[in-house]
Amino acid sequence: MSENVVVIGGGPAGIEASRRLRDLGYTPILIEKEPVLGGHLARWDRLFPDGVEAHTVLDPMLQDLDGIKYFTDTTISSINRLKDTWVVKLSNGLSAQVRAILLSTGFDLFKAEKKEEYGYGIYERVITNAELEDWFKAGAAPQFDGVHTIGFVHCVGSRDEKAGNRQCSKVCCVTAVKQACEFKEKYPEVTVYCFYMDLRMFGRKFEDLYLKAQKEHGVRFVRGRVSEVSEDIDGHLFVKAEDTLFGKPLKIKMDMLVLMCGMAPADGTSELARMVSIPVGEDGFLVPASIVGAPCVAPRDGIFFAGTSTGPKTIPETLGEASAAALAIDRYLKTPARR
Amino acid sequence: MKERILAAYDPFVLPFVFGITFVIGYCLLALFKVLVQLSPADRRKFALSLITPSAILKNLRDLFCDCLLHVKLWKRNKVLGYMHSSIAFGWFMIIVIGHIETVLYIPERLHKLYYPIFFRFFMEEQKQTLQGSFFFFLMDFFLLIILSGITLAIIKRFRSRIVGMRRTTKLTLTDLIGLYSLWAIFPLRWIAEGFTAGVAGGSFMTIPINWILHNFMSKPENITVAWWAYSLALGTFMTVLPFTRYMHIPAEILLIPMRNAGLPVRHTRKGFTLAMLYSCPSCGVCIDACPMGVQKKNVQDATVYMVRNLKRRNQQRSLEIAEKCLMCGKCASLCQVQMDACGIRLAYRTAQEKKNNRLPADFSYLNAIAPQQVGEEKVLYYAGCMSSLTPVISRSVQQVLQAAGVPFELMDRDGSICCGRPLLLAGRRDEAQQLIEKNRQLIEKSGAQILLVSCAICYRIFKEQYELIGVEVVHYTEYFNRLIAAGRLSLKNSHETLVYHDPCDLGRGCGIYDAPRQALAAVGQLVPALKEREESVCCGGSVGSLTLRYEDREPITRGSIENLTANNPEQIVTACPLCLKTFGRFAPVPVRDFAEMLVLNLETNKNDTK
Repeated sequence: MSENVVVIGGGPAGIEASRRLRDLGYTPILIEKEPVLGGHLARWDRLFPDGVEAHTVLDPMLQDLDGIKYFTDTTISSINRLKDTWVVKLSNGLSAQVRAILLSTGFDLFKAEKKEEYGYGIYERVITNAELEDWFKAGAAPQFDGVHTIGFVHCVGSRDEKAGNRQCSKVCCVTAVKQACEFKEKYPEVTVYCFYMDLRMFGRKFEDLYLKAQKEHGVRFVRGRVSEVSEDIDGHLFVKAEDTLFGKPLKIKMDMLVLMCGMAPADGTSELARMVSIPVGEDGFLVPASIVGAPCVAPRDGIFFAGTSTGPKTIPETLGEASAAALAIDRYLKTPARR
Repeated sequence: MKERILAAYDPFVLPFVFGITFVIGYCLLALFKVLVQLSPADRRKFALSLITPSAILKNLRDLFCDCLLHVKLWKRNKVLGYMHSSIAFGWFMIIVIGHIETVLYIPERLHKLYYPIFFRFFMEEQKQTLQGSFFFFLMDFFLLIILSGITLAIIKRFRSRIVGMRRTTKLTLTDLIGLYSLWAIFPLRWIAEGFTAGVAGGSFMTIPINWILHNFMSKPENITVAWWAYSLALGTFMTVLPFTRYMHIPAEILLIPMRNAGLPVRHTRKGFTLAMLYSCPSCGVCIDACPMGVQKKNVQDATVYMVRNLKRRNQQRSLEIAEKCLMCGKCASLCQVQMDACGIRLAYRTAQEKKNNRLPADFSYLNAIAPQQVGEEKVLYYAGCMSSLTPVISRSVQQVLQAAGVPFELMDRDGSICCGRPLLLAGRRDEAQQLIEKNRQLIEKSGAQILLVSCAICYRIFKEQYELIGVEVVHYTEYFNRLIAAGRLSLKNSHETLVYHDPCDLGRGCGIYDAPRQALAAVGQLVPALKEREESVCCGGSVGSLTLRYEDREPITRGSIENLTANNPEQIVTACPLCLKTFGRFAPVPVRDFAEMLVLNLETNKNDTK
């Protein structure tokens, strides 16, 4: 019988790592707290930079789960160290004794209510990037009548010490540009604003997408953070910002505002970290043994990481790291026990 | 009763005479310094208050209640109250009775400073009289009271928790010398009077001492040693007194009339401030009071240590402490000598700001903003920047006003001008003044009679700095409470348990504690926080601190939430946008604004705010 490995978190990282581990001859036990596998990817419509449909990435992965034991709607009750193994108890009553655990616990979208000045949860026409994806996915138009002007607010809960998230979430800039383009493709007559502090177009083709947004779609990029949002009696929004390139304050009437919520550490990350006695960074993400040399390895025997549990990442980075983590686990399990 | 020592002098009195001369001289010099440093206007104001009969009465009452009886301390902590008043009042009575005895028996010796103090040494009891026994009894009685206070003081020094203090001040070397000599004075007096009790007479405390050690005590050379020791302890105490925390004893006699005269803090260590610095008894109440104390590293930033650094002219530390403070005012409200801790810090910031070489602020945009005209009920609602950043508040306030049928106009409809308090707290008084001036124009030109404010921070500066003529500044907690009392708002009681957080600027700053509680009692069931009202714990978000980092604010917020949720309320309600935002990040239960809470429970309102 092949050796078991517990993988906690059934998003792209967890699924990909489980497949690789199975290919290497192990039996992955994949634990997912939600009712379905796929994580945030399952919710998304299209992916940057080319707009490939998210399901074309996820579906092949989900169709290839033979040899993987997976449990959805399941959480971890406890993890205990027993000699050189970990005893993992699950909420469904099962338990597993393994030598290696992979933490692919992912991220949570930053809770937009925390930036109350943007009015999420108070004004009907303020939505999040994820809710816009829901719309795209459902193929439905925004339910508000007469949408003429919309705005995207970058860095909501990213690089924001007041909101308790100092880190850059990495993917929101390009996601906003992607969503702005998609919106313009569907509704060319709508005026689209993007409020940014700076645009971090780090990946291949990202800059092209940004240029396309400006040239082809005429998306208006405004450098400056939104300071506050208010609502008139009909529910239209007034967005106050400062255009720091022109050095003047702006007040724009909008029909819809999309908040680009960043990545925050997943709920329960610190609880899991406590169970296996590994440190959590100041930002709430897990801390690898070496952020450069060993990004998948925890500073504790038998604990490994993949994906956004160690900080914001794109899908390709996550998938790459999942494979790397599988190899690291393989090497660890094949090395004679060091005690 | 007659004189035993005809010379009315013995060398042992010298340490005492030196000490008392020194301390009186020092205090007179300090008094002179304080008075000279006052601005002429303040000096005139102070002098005037000293000859106003009502002020004289108040001064006398405060001097008696605060310096001798420590009434304020009694209210707060009975053990500490007893400890202080027993020593202060007991000692005062011993001095007074000593003088009465001198006046009665040897009035010609009254001019000698030491005579009433060492009365027993110089006197001889020829025969017991009722009058003599009465005084003997009184003296011994007050000695007993003092000794009981000293015993408590000794216990407190080593086990401060017994008297209810978690942390107490770390004393300096001179403080320790003062402390030990103070402890020594009264036991030594007891022994010294015990020695002479055989000849000079005594009562239930001193005579038994004489009986116990009669053979040893009847030798004259031993007697002198005991009185020398007593006099030395007194002399030491008085000589170090100006350099110790015991300086508060004489300083308070000056501070109380100055405070009653209403003098403001104008300087970081001169004039009125100097009198305050001298008056700090280093008791350390401010250490436990400070919300930053949740982190041990911040204990050094408590007011008592600021005072110490100011006295030592340690500019850098004083500035650090002055800039770090949250300005919540809790230490000041608990302070026994009512040290204006925030005022001194503000003076420090303002002085520092003058040294900062900033680019001048550009307020040209103010010209473009025109006043709003208010309707018949003359209510002008100023939401302020913070309420705009927490839209739930400004929206809820407007919903409540609409529900009550109050016509109002929004003052910051075309953009809000800051009230100026953040600038003021940053020491930028001149810039703040420009905003104040513009806002005052907008308010006065609007025709409003009531200025409704939903932010505790704005409310405080409107109250303290604006001097609006013909306009009543009302906080929304007060105003809505009035509307409820007048039956203009129909609310349903959800019977949810609520805890109300007193925002610093509203409670300690403006004394509003009851209005929000009365109003909230109509919509839910109020449960108390562990510490509330004057002792409410700052949320940690305060704009008062210029240097405190977010990671250092988080423990304060968590500490404050712990205080609020001690009785497991279902919701936290506050009446300040900044508290709302700050608590919202970490609270385990929903945090609601006061107005939002009313809107949620409006009888007529069918729409939920969320």
